[in-house]
Amino acid sequence: MLRITGKIDLNSIDFYMEIEAPHVARKWKPGNFVILMLHEKGERIPESVYSVRDGRIGMFIRRHGKTTLELYHRFKVGDYIYAVSGPHGREFPIKHYGTVIYASDAVCGHAENASFTQELKKYDNYVISIQTFETGKEVYPEEFLAEKHADEHYVTTLDGSAGVKGHYTDLISKIISERRVDLVLTGGSLAGMFKASELTRRHGIPNYALVRTIMVDGTGMCGSCRVFYGGAVRFACVDGPVMNAHLIDWEDVMRRDKRFIEEQEKAKNLFLSKIIAR
Amino acid sequence: MSRVVKSRFKSNERPPLERLGDFEEVDLGLDDANAVREAGRCIKCPLWFAPCVKGCPISIKIPEFVKAVENRDLEKALRIMWEDNLFPSITGRVCPQELQCEANCVVGRIGEAVSIGKLERYVGDRARALGLEAKLLEEMKEKIKPNGRKVAVIGSGPAGLACAAELAKLGYNVTIYEALHAPGGVLRYGIPEFRLPKRLLDSEIEKLSFLGVEIRLNHIVGKTISINELLNEYDAVFIGTGAGAPKFLEIPGVNLNNIYSANEFLTRVNLMRADRFPEYDTPVKVGKRTVVIGGGNTAMDAARVARRMGSEVVVAYRRGREDMLQTARLEEVKHAEEEGVSFMYFVQPVEFIGDGKGFVKGVRFEKMKPIDEVDEKGKRKIVGTGEFVELAADTVIIAIGLVPNKVLAESAPDLKIRDDGTVEVDEALQTSIPGVFAGGDAVRGEATVVLAFSDGKKAAHSIHKYLSAKVKQS
Repeated sequence: MLRITGKIDLNSIDFYMEIEAPHVARKWKPGNFVILMLHEKGERIPESVYSVRDGRIGMFIRRHGKTTLELYHRFKVGDYIYAVSGPHGREFPIKHYGTVIYASDAVCGHAENASFTQELKKYDNYVISIQTFETGKEVYPEEFLAEKHADEHYVTTLDGSAGVKGHYTDLISKIISERRVDLVLTGGSLAGMFKASELTRRHGIPNYALVRTIMVDGTGMCGSCRVFYGGAVRFACVDGPVMNAHLIDWEDVMRRDKRFIEEQEKAKNLFLSKIIAR
Repeated sequence: MSRVVKSRFKSNERPPLERLGDFEEVDLGLDDANAVREAGRCIKCPLWFAPCVKGCPISIKIPEFVKAVENRDLEKALRIMWEDNLFPSITGRVCPQELQCEANCVVGRIGEAVSIGKLERYVGDRARALGLEAKLLEEMKEKIKPNGRKVAVIGSGPAGLACAAELAKLGYNVTIYEALHAPGGVLRYGIPEFRLPKRLLDSEIEKLSFLGVEIRLNHIVGKTISINELLNEYDAVFIGTGAGAPKFLEIPGVNLNNIYSANEFLTRVNLMRADRFPEYDTPVKVGKRTVVIGGGNTAMDAARVARRMGSEVVVAYRRGREDMLQTARLEEVKHAEEEGVSFMYFVQPVEFIGDGKGFVKGVRFEKMKPIDEVDEKGKRKIVGTGEFVELAADTVIIAIGLVPNKVLAESAPDLKIRDDGTVEVDEALQTSIPGVFAGGDAVRGEATVVLAFSDGKKAAHSIHKYLSAKVKQS
């Protein structure tokens, strides 16, 4: 049982949660993720890590399914959750690359944007951080943006109501036409990472992406998270989650991401109906 | 020899239609009267001769425990059993007895072999129910003389459980590290409830806790903690991580939705209880028609789980039924057949066909035929015929085997790994790292639960020998 030590709204659907998990915090490196289980009947959900300090892990979590809604509505600071395991996955080799862009357009990507940016700075990289939100209203509070760690930081909004108008890929496109970029890292929506991978491929820029697929154990035991990687079957949980975006078959990843869509809707609606009934 | 009863006294098997409606155990076991009668069928070969004992990978003194059952002395039967095997309720259920002890049974030459597996299970189950297990366990605990030394066991599957139990008996302070949120390894996530009830597994694990073994869940050795860190904290380490990574077929369409590895499918149901979704949060999708590819016990388990979830099921195997019985327990094959699972032999998948929306809708097979040659594993070789056949399927489960998980190996560069991914060990089951031992599927590739039990126990004694010698030296 692990204690929740912090919970803060980031916008209308994302929240920050901090959990005491010293066994995981001790070994966590950028690229690693954790698996949470709320209770004995819960599912095992992978979550990206935003920060690690004093034996606690901080995560950004989106209320998009039953489990994350339950975590938001039924668990408060001081409550305990059933299980946290990790660090899972391969750490990303943080070293000197030169000019690096980290671009994100959704919750897990924003979490890693901050943690990667901070670590990359330690190796004398010039780090450009781009964070895309739907609207100005949905932009995270300043202390949760990657701004404080980056050399340059941009917020973009799809409707142009704050920061630069457009998706991060529009801004990457502009930046790489103007100057040399040695590495692009992306995290967040699959569609965004797919689009970015096409763009960087055309420009011959290395691109690594946070491949979040549906997982069960997260230790390479089941193959639920499998992807086509350079034509071969690989497991995002142990061979990733940060993988070469140019070797990923993104259409395959996006198709597999929808395989439980009916069940996810059913569980979510059932939970929401219970909340309303209360 | 007219006294020998040629046919078996039956155990209480639930009828197929009844058991398809739930996940409860198929075989309720022998009752007292039939156990005693069945034990009476055994002609009690002397131990030096007993062919059954020679067929047992852990050399259980079969005629002796069977005799004790016949004499209605369950306590004695359990004592005899525990000399070689602490987990009779498990082995009695999952061992392929027809290829081991029962294959050699002398009675089997004139009639049906004695139901050694059912008797073994009877001893474990009844002794527990009657409180005899608790009594013997209490005795065992009293005899333990703590020696102050610590051993870490990686993995809580059969190899790890057996090793931990034996080490605890020898006085060691044992901690098991388990990556998942529940202990038991393949006994938990792999073998379904109807074959090995979880309450039974829980009670075996409680046995270890009673002997003082600590289990740390949610700890992935190689990630959460490294082998080197364990060696700093413990006097020795045992690796019992199993053969954890599923093989996939490298054929077109293998990533289509609703194609699972057997590990994924079984883990979703057995460990996460997806059969009870949405009461439990983990989903699994099982359609109207499931094709299971493979012919081992895992294939049977997956087929029977899918059957219980309301699907028609076809098991497609690339060899024949007689070959399948070398890899799957006869009882499981029979149960699957009774439960309405269909079988298709001599077919090898060549392509999975999609429905245009990303989901599988069929499997294309090439028909195979056997030739007069055997492969390196002693199995009949098969060749393609150039003829193809298509089966409709909205769910596919691939159960063609496993390869060792690489997470631990990648984190321990000093640990010598063989080309096939298994851990290299010497005669005493010691790895290339002094003080680190290994056993079970991590070493053997894919073997059986009983061999993992046997390795775990053997490694415990090797660890004891290794650490005793070390103490003398210093």
